[in-house]
Order: sequence, then C-alpha cells, then structure tokens
Amino acid sequence: MAEPAYIVTSDSETTGEEKPSTFSEIAIGIDIGTSQCSVAMWSGSRVELLKNTGNQKIMKSYVTFKGNTPSGGVCSQLSHEDEMLSGATIFNMKRLIGRVDTDPVVHASKNLPFLVQTLDIGVRPFIAALVNNMWRSTTPEEVLAIFLVELRAMIEAQLKRRIRNVVLTVPVSFSRFQLTRIERACAMAGLHVLRLMPEPTAVALLYAQQQQQNAHENMGSGCEKIALIFNMGAGYCDVAVTATAGGVSQIKALAGSTIGGEDLLQNMMRHLLPESGNLFQNHRVKEIKRMGLLRVATQDAIHQLSSQTSVQVDVDLGDGLKIWKTVDREEFEEVNRKVFEKCESLIIQCLKDAKVEVEDVNDVIVVGGCSYIPRVKNLVANTCKGKELYKGMNPLEAPVCGAALEGAVASGINDPLGNLDLLTIQATPLAIGIRADGNKFVPVIPKDTAMPARKELVFTTIHDNQTEALIIVYEGEGEKAEENHLLGYFKIMGIPAAPKGMPEINVCMDIDAANVLRVLAGVVMPGSRKPAIPVMEVRMPSVDDGHGWCAEALNRSYGASLDLVTLQNKA
Amino acid sequence: MRCHGLTVHGTNHRGFCVPTVSPLFSRPTRPVTRISFPKATLKNDGLVMELSFYELLGIPESGSLMEIKNAYKQLARKYHPDVSPPGRVEEYTKRFIQVQEAYETLSDPSRRAMYDHDMAKGINFAFNARRRHNYHDQVVEQKSEWKSRWQSQLSELKRRSNNKDGGGNMSWAARMRQQRDELSNES
Repeated sequence: MAEPAYIVTSDSETTGEEKPSTFSEIAIGIDIGTSQCSVAMWSGSRVELLKNTGNQKIMKSYVTFKGNTPSGGVCSQLSHEDEMLSGATIFNMKRLIGRVDTDPVVHASKNLPFLVQTLDIGVRPFIAALVNNMWRSTTPEEVLAIFLVELRAMIEAQLKRRIRNVVLTVPVSFSRFQLTRIERACAMAGLHVLRLMPEPTAVALLYAQQQQQNAHENMGSGCEKIALIFNMGAGYCDVAVTATAGGVSQIKALAGSTIGGEDLLQNMMRHLLPESGNLFQNHRVKEIKRMGLLRVATQDAIHQLSSQTSVQVDVDLGDGLKIWKTVDREEFEEVNRKVFEKCESLIIQCLKDAKVEVEDVNDVIVVGGCSYIPRVKNLVANTCKGKELYKGMNPLEAPVCGAALEGAVASGINDPLGNLDLLTIQATPLAIGIRADGNKFVPVIPKDTAMPARKELVFTTIHDNQTEALIIVYEGEGEKAEENHLLGYFKIMGIPAAPKGMPEINVCMDIDAANVLRVLAGVVMPGSRKPAIPVMEVRMPSVDDGHGWCAEALNRSYGASLDLVTLQNKA
Repeated sequence: MRCHGLTVHGTNHRGFCVPTVSPLFSRPTRPVTRISFPKATLKNDGLVMELSFYELLGIPESGSLMEIKNAYKQLARKYHPDVSPPGRVEEYTKRFIQVQEAYETLSDPSRRAMYDHDMAKGINFAFNARRRHNYHDQVVEQKSEWKSRWQSQLSELKRRSNNKDGGGNMSWAARMRQQRDELSNES
C-alpha cells in the first residue's frame, strides 16, 4: 500500500485528526524524557518495550555533534558521562524546547556543559555544541529531531516496516506553544503525532487496563476507583488524579511544574562547590570539562544516596581544585527542601482541584526516575496520609506503556481479548482565556475541563464608541495576563458605535478531538439576533518563537485602548 | 507595528478599565443574546434540544450518583472521539460535550439541586440553557465549595438568620445565590 509522502505542517498548524490509512495492528508510544527515553509497541494484544542494539530498553536522551554526522543516545555505545565532558553533547532539550531566554528554566540551563546563551529579551535562546573548538549552533527542536530520527530508524529496523504515527508523552506543565515545538520536531523526523499525552495520564491509562483485567478475573463490580499518580523525572514533576471504572480513565485534575532530578543535581553541585555557578560562566574548554566532572560525581552521589545513608564524594577538578566530602542523606534532603516542598504542594493542589479527599484515594502510584529517591516516596505517601504505594507498575516503563496503549486505542485497533476496551478522557492541564477586566487573565476554558470542550463567555467594550477590540489569548494559571503563556492575538474591527458596555462580544473556545484549539469571536448588538460583523475564527497558538518579546510589545503599543471587560449577566 | 489608538473614541487610558465596584454587586440583569458559531454549535431544531440531562444520560430522575457515573462512562465509551467511528467524529464530539455537561451538572449535588428545581418549575432547561456559564458565578462556586468545613457551617448559621431577617420571601435559587455571595465576602 502506498504511503502518502510526508507533509511538513506550517507553524500555526498542528497536524489534524487522522486515522491511519494502512490497516495497522501495531501502535508506537515514545517517552522522551529530559535524561532518558524509551519506546513501547502495542502488538498482538500486549505492550512491549523495544531495545536498542546495546540491548537497552531505557536509553539516554542526548545528541553528540562530532564531525559531520551528529549521533544520539539511541545507537551510541559510548557512555553518556564521557561524551558529556567535551561540550559536544547537547542534552536536557526537553527543558529548553519552546522556552524564551527570559525563562528561569533557560537560565538554570546555563550551568550545563554546552552553550546556552541568553539576551533576556524574550526570544529563543542561543544553543551551541563545541565541535573541533568551534561553537556549532543548533536548536532544541533540531536536537530532538535528530534524536527522533535515530529512534525511528531503530524501530523500523526491528519491525522491518515504515512507521509514521506515534504517541508521545509530554509534561503536564507544557504550554500549547511547547506542544507545537514537539510536533515540529516530530515532523522534522518524519513522524506524525497521533496524540501528545501528559505523562501521568499515560500511567492512568495503564492503570485503567490493570483494573479492568482485575475486574475480569475477580468478576468484580467494576466500581469507580480513584488513583493519584505522581511522576517525577529529571526535568518535570507531574501529578494527576483519575477516576477509573470499566476501562475508562477520567482525568479529574492535573498539576505540574518544571522541577525534577536536574534541580536536585544542580542544588547538590552548588552545595559541593558553592562557586560553581561563576566558575563555569565563560564556557572555556577547561571549564566545561570541570563542569562535566562535577556533574558526573554529583549524579553518582545522588544515585548512591537512594540506597545508602551517606556517600563519599571524591573528585579532582584539576588545577588543584579537589572536592573531598562526605554527604549524608539528611544533607541532600535539606539542600533540596524547596524542591520537595513544591512536590508536596503539587499533590495537595491536584487533590483540591479534583475535589477529592485524601481518604477517598484508592491507589497512590509513584513513577519516574526520581521515584527511587526515598524522600520522594516518603513525601508522596505522607501527603496521602501514609497510604501504601501501588506496586503493580515499573516506574520507568509505565508512561511509555500507557502511550502505546493510547496509540492503539486512538488508531482504532481492535483487540479480540478486550485488552483495548479502554478510554482516556483528558482534561485541560492549564486554563485558556483572554486578557480583560484590566490586566486580568479571564479563563474561558477553565483548568481541568474535560476534552473535547467548547465554552464561551461574553465580554463588552470599556470605551464609548469603541470600534475595535484586541483579543489576546493566554494559557496558564496566573491571575495577571502576563503571568501566563501567550498563545496568540487578533483584533475585532468594525464594532458598531455604541455606549460602552452595550456591544456583546462573544468569545468561544473550542478544543476538538485532535486537541486543536480554535478561538471564535463574534459581536452582537442588544436587540439583534445576528452577529453585527462576520465571526472570526483563529487557530491557536499563532505566535512564534519571539512570543516573550511580542507580549510586551502588545502591551506597550496598545495599553488598555482596545480592552474588554466581562459582561455580567444574570445566570 | 501601527498604533490604533486613534481609532478609538474616548481613547487610551491605562488603568481606566479596572472595575471600581466589585462586579458581583453591580450586575446588570440584561439577558445576553446567543450567537451560533459555525461548526460544532448545536442546531436548535435538533432532537437533542428536547432532551433533559437525565434523558441525555439515559437514567431516571431519581438516579443515584453511582448510576450517573456509570452512565457517563458508558456514554463516553460510545461518543468520545478516540473511539467513535472515523466518519462520525464531529457529530459524536458534539454529543460527548453534551453528555459531559449533563454529567458535570448532575454529579454535583448543589448544581443538580438547582437543575431539579428549575425543571420542577417547568422551565425547559434542556441542554444549552445553562451553558452560558458566568465566570464570576463559577469563581464564587469554586470558592464556596472548597471552604473548610467550619466555615460552611458558619455560613449556614448566617443564612438561617438572614432568612429570619426577611429573606423568607426569596426563592430557593435566590437564597442560594445570596448564600454564595456571603461566602465570597467572607473570603
């Protein structure tokens, strides 16, 4: 059967809903983590993880630029640690993708042993790898795409067929703009994104399948079970609360933040060498090497502290700079107290948003690379009132297995054994709304709304005879507009002249089956049933890489001149 | 970028737009007009308009929370776009959003009570009637729902004393609204 040629989607366009044209009985899930990556495949009634030529199921996420062909962690047999020292290796791209150079996460990445340069003006940061004593510039999308090409080659070599549709897992806190960057990277690698799935919701789907199987075995009633899922990897921490019954996983609430193992590592590096931040500022070859050495030593120490209560750090950074220090577990936990507190607050927030009491939670599931850290397990169990943690899942493999299951469900694969009688009802991880009522963020689709969704709100003008209005669409949780991610903007023109507060400006937001967001705006004058001007429909996000810059420019140029307020009406 | 300040009468005053009174207490009661947006908007003449939330979920009006949840999950398995037949995704998506709305209303005891009350009064609140959700109502609702228990008990006492003070003639819904307003004042 002929496969259609791959079409690269435009910037504003996410790939549309597409049922695979070929009758495929396999589905691929990919979990690209900040530091590790894995691939799972649904085939013949079950999910299995694929291995690379080095027989690894869990591969390191990095790309090394050397000579003419960059190589990634999928095939490379060299250890990550050695490669990292040279400055030629880019990693942590998941923390950098879709972020502007004013983002604190980008600033924290300046301590990595490659070049991350910022101008602090709200544009894309400059990223480069050191190749033969030259800085070769690249972008997080490009690095991710190179990595994905390697992954794809690995999968295709094993399956002896071409693959195209994949489900990728993403952090809960990713904005829609960041999702478009992931889609772009996939497109560059010739892959079509079937779904982008928040990591804990992928775990929730696997949990739904397990519960379904249990219910069959025990002839159980299949009553609703509430699970709290906590996922902490190297780059991100996510929490989900899900209600599961009859194979349907209904996501009740999501919470996420950019905290993870990388923060634990950097805090520890600063603890071991307080001046490490300044020391590495200039990114000279010798400094990069030092940075790499310190990083590896610290990483090893943290790993060891998961199984033992104290560890001896002994590393020679050269030029007489040596670190010789005993670190115990309490010290590690104290240095990272703020990170752990943030984890706790995410769990509490998520339960509150889900309107679920801790006592009503049936299962507590902890996954991700950080789940091996005793403090992390304890804090989740304690926040859930000492509930025992769920045991039926591999913490590193659960998300990718869930992604493969979702791929199978979403591509309409039918399993005679009933292992695919599953469904995830996703919820919006962030609220989506517009700037109105002064500089406020007014959500039109609130956080944790079931998807697909369609909601509308009515606004009105703030000036007499205001003929234009600026609709600025944001996504996030901040109260002020600028605390949120800018998704796009458009202007409504030709509002009939009327006293302020009279025209009804109806803003409707629609998230369809493929998670595509459309913003519609129409104007109605009181007494009329028809829109006064043609309704506008804009697909979001419509901003590009300079969106940080753009938000400020909008504010400077327009101020409150084209503002709106919410129209209060009797419910 | 072009400056559009000139096109606006009464022009640019930063900060001018900040509401000076709390919007909760200055609500013009003007009903707003519905416009139908293209695509997923429901057809007003469709059969679906006639269905109550109970009918949408296919459960009796006396249905328990358990029945509501089960019906919702079953219907989701049918209408969710991930599992619907390829040719009918758009149609089923509309239906899914309706089922979702019915479920959200009926699974929340206070919203269900209000809905039942409206139905009993003979107001035909089929789908869409409450769909124009009010942002401030929603915020108030969220706040009130998640007050700690002693606070809600306190407000219950206050509500009762308010009723004695002459709120006796108010409708049930009006009392509910008043109660919520009080809660938001306390925050």
